[in-house]
Order: sequence, then structure tokens, then C-alpha cells
Amino acid sequence: MSQGSNVEEADRLSRRRARMLPVLAIIFITQQAAYFSDRFEGAGAAVRAVDHVKIGAWVILSVVLLLALTTGGFWFKSREVRALLDDEVTRAHRAAALQLGFIVTMIAAFAIYLLIQFEPMSARDSIHLLVTIGIATALVRFGMLERRAHLGD
Amino acid sequence: MATERLANRLNQLRGERALTQAALAEMVGVSRKTINTVENGVFVPSTLLALKLARALDCRVEDIFSVED
Repeated sequence: MSQGSNVEEADRLSRRRARMLPVLAIIFITQQAAYFSDRFEGAGAAVRAVDHVKIGAWVILSVVLLLALTTGGFWFKSREVRALLDDEVTRAHRAAALQLGFIVTMIAAFAIYLLIQFEPMSARDSIHLLVTIGIATALVRFGMLERRAHLGD
Repeated sequence: MATERLANRLNQLRGERALTQAALAEMVGVSRKTINTVENGVFVPSTLLALKLARALDCRVEDIFSVED
């Protein structure tokens, strides 16, 4: 494939990524909302087999999203296209997104630390919440920065 | 507080050479989005990219970029 068509393909994929990231964040958060509503409804109840499946699915989804965030994704594309999809601007956007994700996670951690004095929360739920907040924030920020970069063509 | 910003003539120089953003991106080895963000002043490129742009446009880095107060 020529470099010209690589640039075109990278451009197309980059636009798709910019559109998809906020959507992925919403799907991710929605799944966690369902998890937490089930948890609070069944507080005190024994952990069911379905809970293990949910937790496993959440771990897998979180790891995939984290890898996509930190590596740029599109793992099955050619090296040239991946290099174009992970060029200087994208790396800067990713760094800014991960930075915001870290800051928001720290703020959420402090908030949980204070709140558990009044409303006990298990270590698993706390970690679940923090990871979800951190990843979702970084996804949304990355998507917003990428969308803005495509404006004004 | 410093209020300097990096001004650039990338759009003008590219136009003079009848190059599209995609064509320049191809010459430099970056995405078209990167050319777009540099042109719009949204992104400050690295020295490496600035030198590559100058080489692709056959001019000096100072011809493309300048510090604006």
C-alpha cells in the first residue's frame, strides 16, 4: 500500500476513533451503572455466579480499553498505518487525556476515602469505581481532543 | 506571564507549492490531522517535525514559524 493511501486510511480511521471513543465511554459507564445498581439492591447477599461473570467481563473490557488508550489501538493494521495513527499530535492528545484521567481518579479516590466514613464500600467496589472513572474520563478527553483536531479541514 | 505564541505560514507556503494537506502529510510522514492542527495553531510541533516540514517545503524553519507576541 502506498504512503498516500496510508495517509488516507489513517485519516479515515482517526476520524472513526474520534467518534467512537466518547461512545465507548458511555457504554462503559452504562455497564458499570448496571453493576452498581445490582450491587446496592443485593447488598449483604452472597455473590452469585453471574456477578463473577460481570466482574470478569468488566476486567476484560477495562484492560482492552486501557490498552487501546495507551497504545492507540488498531492492532491489526499495518505498521505504517499504525505509525500515522500514533503520530505526534495523537501522542500529545493521549498524554493530555491520561493526565486528566489520573487527576480525576485521584479526586475520586479522595472523595471515596471521605465518603466511606458514612457509607461503607468494599475494596472491590472502590477499585471498580476508580478504574471506571479514570478510563472513562481519559476516553472522553482523548475523543474530544481528536475531534477538535479534525475540525477546520 | 508569557503571552508569546507560535505563528506559522504553513498554509500559505503549502498553497504556493500547490500541495494538499494530505500530500504534505505524506511527504513528512505524519497524519493529515497533524498538518491541520499545526496550520491552525492548535498544536506546536516538535523540532523534528518543524525541520521535516521545512525540508519538505524547501525552506528554512524560520520561514514557516515565528514567535508572535
